[in-house]
Parts: sequence; structure tokens; C-alpha cells
Amino acid sequence: MIQNTSIDIHYLQPTVIFATNKPIIIQTILGSCVSVCLWDKKLRIGGMNHYMLPFWNGVGLATPKFGNIAIEKLIDKMLSLGSNKKDIVAKTFGGGRIIETTKDSNFQIGSQNIIIAEEMLKSEHIPIISENMGGTFGRKIQFYTNTGVVLHKFIKKNPLYLNDSD
Amino acid sequence: MKTLSDDELMDELKKRLKSNHKTIEECNNLIKQLWITNKKLEESEALKSHFISNVTNEIINPFTSIIGLSNSIISSKSTDIEKVKSMALLIHSEAFNLDFQLNNIFTAAKLEAGEINLEIYNVNIKDIVNATIENFSNESKKKSLQIGVAFEGALKAKSNNTFKTDPHKLKIIIANLISNAIKFSNTSGKIEINSTITKDILTISVKDYGIGIAKKDQEIIFDRFNRLNNCINDQNRGHGLGLSVIKSVLDIINGNIELNSHKLGTTFVVTIPESIAANNVDDFANNDNDFLLNKK
Repeated sequence: MIQNTSIDIHYLQPTVIFATNKPIIIQTILGSCVSVCLWDKKLRIGGMNHYMLPFWNGVGLATPKFGNIAIEKLIDKMLSLGSNKKDIVAKTFGGGRIIETTKDSNFQIGSQNIIIAEEMLKSEHIPIISENMGGTFGRKIQFYTNTGVVLHKFIKKNPLYLNDSD
Repeated sequence: MKTLSDDELMDELKKRLKSNHKTIEECNNLIKQLWITNKKLEESEALKSHFISNVTNEIINPFTSIIGLSNSIISSKSTDIEKVKSMALLIHSEAFNLDFQLNNIFTAAKLEAGEINLEIYNVNIKDIVNATIENFSNESKKKSLQIGVAFEGALKAKSNNTFKTDPHKLKIIIANLISNAIKFSNTSGKIEINSTITKDILTISVKDYGIGIAKKDQEIIFDRFNRLNNCINDQNRGHGLGLSVIKSVLDIINGNIELNSHKLGTTFVVTIPESIAANNVDDFANNDNDFLLNKK
């Protein structure tokens, strides 16, 4: 198992983006939120976002709380650090169905967050080389920006059950 | 190979039809949502253009006043200290408003760029609330407003109770709530600010006795650049960023905002859970054995 305690850890808050050309561990905790980790395999630099909802619909500020904004801005940040889009690969995590409903639907927030990540990365021609999304658990992830490795751990809690009406 | 009876086939067909029907219904709902989103984005673009022209005025007007008034003081031969003081008060007021609005614009820009980070400290809530009210003392005096402050729960104790949060973000939230309350209060009115900590949750409520917000408008006040038409006049300057900034800051610190408004005034209630210092957030480093190395 990879252990690298000598590099700094940056805790990524929801709705925030962090990209750096320094070797660092970016860590975050995800429920139905999704994090896209982008890694430039040539420059060996990386960045991560943490979005809560799939689309910004014009309400409130256009922050990276929304997948369509967060992914676009993360790519921009990687490019501003000198990355070439063809060298960028992605790893995606999160989108858990942590609030269980009796309704069997593909259109829950977690699932929508997953779809937007897959669709946007596809349209940007950035390959997803690793992913762990969906399920009913929350996750903790650590992204090593110098190696591109992402460590991943489930948070095993009993899911919260809600009725259809909730 | 198992052969199915007609009834079984019919049941299977019905089941599939039902599931198709459900998917179509969900798709239709999504299309409806998409249509609404598109409409809102169009409106947002229009508001954004309006915002730029509005904000240009907001920045240029105070500067014109500051330059003009300070020039009058410099070139004045009057020894009337009261007159000079009143001009200095106007300069202070214009500069304060400009500083406040620029801070909001920069905070909104940082939030939109995803470049805002938390800095968690042990914060003395009483000090922050009192200092922020003090900052607005000239603005409240201009409208002869009385600001009442109350501390309850754990904050009632005389000892220095601290709460782990980001003081800068908290100040932004309180300042915007107070600024709003001042803007929409009638002259000689009052504002009540109540703070309490219960079970690691900080609640701050700011109540004004102004004109209130109509039910239909309550949903849109958190939108950026939206100012309600009936509130726009020369006294109520601003660009409508305050509440959307509060909401986005609260997203980062897991807080929440609610409002209760009627014809006799509006109360905004903000709740913020106590933060955990970033370096203690979890035990990642000590539990590496539990980690899965992700490969596709």
C-alpha cells in the first residue's frame, strides 16, 4: 500500500476546486457528490473538484457546486498550469445513493452527478482510466498529485431510508 | 428452453410496458427541467449584462463623491470643524459602501472560480457579531436605526465561548445580513440580531421591520443580481449579490439559510455547524490498510 506521509495533505471542501503543480495529497469525503480527479501523465500534476449537483440552472452563483461548472473549471485550471488536454486522464468517484428511497430510479442526484461526469469527460475527449461510482455508501478518497494514484475507502453506514414522498 | 404460457407472456409484456412508461415519464420530467433551466440561463445572461452596467455605476459614483468631497476639504479655508466632520462622514460612508460591495464582488468571483478555502479558527462569536455591527454604525445612524443584539444558549455565559469556524466567512455572512436589514428598514426603525449556540450549531437571526418580501419573490431573492423591482430606489443601492454570496459561502461550511417574511418585516435565520479543523478531518493517514487502490 502506498504510504507517503512526507507530502502535505489538502482537504478539499465541497464546491471548491484545487489543482496544483506541486506534489500533494488532495483528500475529500463524498456522499452523493462526485469528485473528478484529473492527472497530467506527462507533467505529473493533478487537480480535483467536488460537486454536489449536476447542473447549474441559473439560480445563485455559478459556483463549482454544479458538475457542469466544476468539470469545465477544473479542465481550465489544468490547462492554465500548462497541461495539454491530450495528456490528461481522469479518475472519477462518488455519486453514492446514500439516501435510499423505495423508488427505483436512475435519475437520483448521485446518478445524475455520475452521468454528467461521464458525458462531459467524453465530450472533452478525456479518458476515464479509473472509477468507483454509485452504490449505497459514502467514500473517502486521497489523490496523490505526483503519481496520479487515488486511494479509495468506503464509509460504511446504514443507508437512510426514505419513502417515495420524501 | 422454457416455454411461457400466454398469461405469463402477457404479464411480462405488461411489466415491461409499465417500466418503459415510467422511464418515459422520468425523461419527460427531465426535459421539462432542462427547458426551465434553459429559460433561467437566458434570464441569467440578461441579468449579467445588466449587472455590469449597474456595478460600473456603483464603483464610479462613490469615487466621484470621495474625490469631490476630499477636494473640498483640502481647498476649503473654513475653520468650521463640524462642517469638515460632516464631509468626512460622507467620505467614510461612500468608501465603506464601496469597500463592502467590492468585497462582495471579489468573494463572488472567488466562489465562482472555486478558489475559496476555509481557514478554521476558534472564534469568539460575540466579538465577531459586535465588531460587524460596529462597522455598520454610521450606516445605521444615517437612518436612525436601533440595532438590538442578544446572545443566547451557550453564548449567554459570560465566559469566552469559542466556536470552530472560518471567521472571515462568518463576517461576510453577518455583514451582508446586516447590510440588507439596514437597506430595507424604514427610517427610525429597529433591527434585532440574535445569536445562539446549541449542540455545536450556531444560529444567527437578523430581523428587520421593513416592507417584507412577497411570497412569490422569496424564491428568487437568492438568485444572483436579482433585486426586487419594488425595492429599487436611490436609497437602496446595491447589485443584488449579497444573498447569493451568503448562500454559496454557506454551501462550503455546510450551513443553511431560511427566511420568514410578512408585511411587517423579514427575519433571516442562518445555521452553521461547528467545523472540524482541516488537519484533523479524518484518520486517512493512519488507516491506509483499508484503502483500495483504484484500477480499471
